[in-house]
Amino acid sequence: MRRRPPKALVAVSGAVGLLFIAPFAYVVTQNLRLGADFGEILTDGDTWATLRRSFSLAIFVSVSAAVIGTGLAWTVVRTDVPFKKLLAVIAPLPLVFPSFVGATALISGFATGGLLEQIVEPAGISLPELRGFRAAWFVLTLFTYPYVYLPVAARLRHLPRSFEESGRILGRSPAEVFGTIVWPQIRTATSAGALLVFLYTISDFGAVELLRYDTFTRKIYANQLADRGTAMAFSLMLGIIALAVVAAERSLIRRDPPAPVATKGRSMPIALRAWRWPTFAAIVAFFAIAIVGPVASLAHWTIRGVNATRSTGSLALSSHGLFDAITNTVLISSVAAIVTVAVVLPIAYLSSRHTGRFSDVAHGLVVAGFALPGLVTALAIVFWVLRTDALIGLYQTLPLLILAYVVHFGAQASGAARLAVNTIPRPLEDAARMLGAPRTRRFFTIELPIMIPGLIAAGGLVLLSTMKELPATLLLSPTGFDTLATEIWASMDAVSYAQAGLESMALLAVSAVLTWTLVIRVADRLD
Amino acid sequence: MHSPLQRVNPTRRLARVTVLVLSVGLIATACSSDSSQESANLTVYSGRGEDLIQPVLDLFEERTGIAVDVRYGSSSEMALLIDTEGERSPADVFISQSPGAVGFLEQQDRLELLTDSIIGRVSDDFSGADNRWVGITGRVRVLVYNTDAVDPADLPGSFLELTETAYAGRVGVAPGNGSFQDFVTAVRSDLGDAATLTWLRGMAANGSPNYPKNSAIVDAVARGEVDMGLVNHYYLVEALEEDPSLPAANHVFPEGDLGSLLIVSAAAILDSSDNKDAATDLLEFLLSDDAQALSANAEKEYPLVGGIAQPEGLLPLDDLAAAVIDLNVLAGGLSGTQELIDQSDLSQ
Repeated sequence: MRRRPPKALVAVSGAVGLLFIAPFAYVVTQNLRLGADFGEILTDGDTWATLRRSFSLAIFVSVSAAVIGTGLAWTVVRTDVPFKKLLAVIAPLPLVFPSFVGATALISGFATGGLLEQIVEPAGISLPELRGFRAAWFVLTLFTYPYVYLPVAARLRHLPRSFEESGRILGRSPAEVFGTIVWPQIRTATSAGALLVFLYTISDFGAVELLRYDTFTRKIYANQLADRGTAMAFSLMLGIIALAVVAAERSLIRRDPPAPVATKGRSMPIALRAWRWPTFAAIVAFFAIAIVGPVASLAHWTIRGVNATRSTGSLALSSHGLFDAITNTVLISSVAAIVTVAVVLPIAYLSSRHTGRFSDVAHGLVVAGFALPGLVTALAIVFWVLRTDALIGLYQTLPLLILAYVVHFGAQASGAARLAVNTIPRPLEDAARMLGAPRTRRFFTIELPIMIPGLIAAGGLVLLSTMKELPATLLLSPTGFDTLATEIWASMDAVSYAQAGLESMALLAVSAVLTWTLVIRVADRLD
Repeated sequence: MHSPLQRVNPTRRLARVTVLVLSVGLIATACSSDSSQESANLTVYSGRGEDLIQPVLDLFEERTGIAVDVRYGSSSEMALLIDTEGERSPADVFISQSPGAVGFLEQQDRLELLTDSIIGRVSDDFSGADNRWVGITGRVRVLVYNTDAVDPADLPGSFLELTETAYAGRVGVAPGNGSFQDFVTAVRSDLGDAATLTWLRGMAANGSPNYPKNSAIVDAVARGEVDMGLVNHYYLVEALEEDPSLPAANHVFPEGDLGSLLIVSAAAILDSSDNKDAATDLLEFLLSDDAQALSANAEKEYPLVGGIAQPEGLLPLDDLAAAVIDLNVLAGGLSGTQELIDQSDLSQ
């Protein structure tokens, strides 16, 4: 039965939607002002070749990230693989590497003459050069699979295991159980995550630039001063493509599966038996590439710098400002995570419960905005705020910075939040309604508690992304407000790799602690 | 009514965490808002790194008592920010890593005319033709090379030789980098567009590997991934500080060759500044003898004001090609340069 959405919900969603229109409206007004020659751009073969490169990279990365993220989530949540808790803390971490650091670290670790080659060279092994399509595919997969991992793990935590157990008791193989029982329940989570990976990949600049793979975003950056019109035209095309991809995903995965009523109590994890340690070894090997590899490079930079310090006498490392940067990073990322989830929840609710054109458009705008490069979104906010008298007082203050994070990362929270809304069993809600519980009470006592695992996953994604965010932080933070990401950028810019290594390791450590305290422990208590 | 899922407790716990985080956040936000509202300070947007420029700005504060707020970012990002902010930009002064970004703002009519007390400090070659920006320090384009892989006797006498087969696949370039683009713009003004395109195509045909930026080339040369690379001189100087054992050295092209062009960092005052007197004071200070000596030594760059000793180990400024280049072309011609680089397929 379809119900009309409450007016208040529509009003709030409309206001939130307006926020997310801002970047698109900016790109459109700039295109009108600068008047790039679309005829020339669209007939230029290079435009289409670049588009094809961006697209194939984004598709390959989404698929591999979906496979890895889903497989890892299922293994960590459902099986008896050793050291589950530890694996659960480590699994989301690669998301926190800013791509300019992560890619540089991987390059200096795995590239010709790099750290790994120095180790394997005596054995006569030489490594392929890390550049081009395959390198970008490899590096971006390693840094984006958590977009899939977190929502899928949250979904799996919520699903009752009884079906799977019945399946196994009836003699189905684990693969059959996964294909017929688990997959239909988690495919929306996988697909929402893969969509984020797709959008991230087409908007990424740091990694593709360093790995020398020429994509759409490179066109935007290369022309940003030389030819504003062309840069803005490409931004507009990126936005349009993103909206189309979001709409396509929505029509492909139209219906979320009905939410089964969650069952209480722990059940036995799936026994991997002989595969228990090999599976663990495979995960460890994967983490060795995704996390230990970059960290080894970072540590190597720092140690090398400290050693050089001994010989030259000038200290290569400084802890000056590091503590402030850590405090600032923790503060803004946790506030941004909570605010973002709260802001997108109305639209998630509306688009999940009252499907219609309005909610589709609102949801589409929130999600597609993620494909615009962070710099474009930040400039859009600068543009609108300085042209609105009432908002000027907010310019370059923390509330506005948080707002910028909300707009840029709303997409990450939105998909997971929609899944969270879907986990509310309808019969439960109907029962509460018929017993006369008022709306707010229903929300706080029934819906919110059920949604929490999903909302935590949503917040976790925003948390880790905010920690590494750079362009909006550089442009919109209060003067002198440094985060770990801006400090790392400054150190890389000054070619102080030793310092950048130290700060990046601090970023990783801080995000591990936050993931543990705010994401994993809270989710565990709910089990 | 009991909660059907008995999950109220965790919700409360989560609510407490949420309230705690938000209230700490709001308090911090309130504090930060207070301090950022003061506008009496001079606001500088800097594309030059904190390690390079902050010591000089600290000295300015100490000498004049004028407080300086600095926002750091890449030069192009800061230029875009100022352009987007428009009339209401809080920035008074823009310090740019290269003439390109400051030239962009000049084209947008955003720069104030500079007084003679500023422009007169440097030779005409080092300021904008319309006197709306001024060079502060300079750096030299060089060919960095791996000392294990390259015999110094084989080093080229001119950048034009790099398209020869002897250098096939051996010279790293950074076609997307501002300094490389400034260099190409200088070549255009000297040789014309046709000859420049021929050279760029020659570099592409020679399989010159491309890199995103100078530091990546220096890293690659030091690792032995590529034998040589076209970069600015100071990246290697800085890399050697962290690891003196790197097998790499800088080759300065002989006298007058554009391969060793001098590229200046630049400063300008914004037309939207409400603090132009203090801004003028700052630019005068940046060109004072003390500030020039300080930045040259801290940055391993060339001072642009005459009579200041340059850092050890650098070729004398008079021997470099800089003097023959019209920097105005360098600043304004960015889009034509971008077009030539795209046409040459050097970035593929």
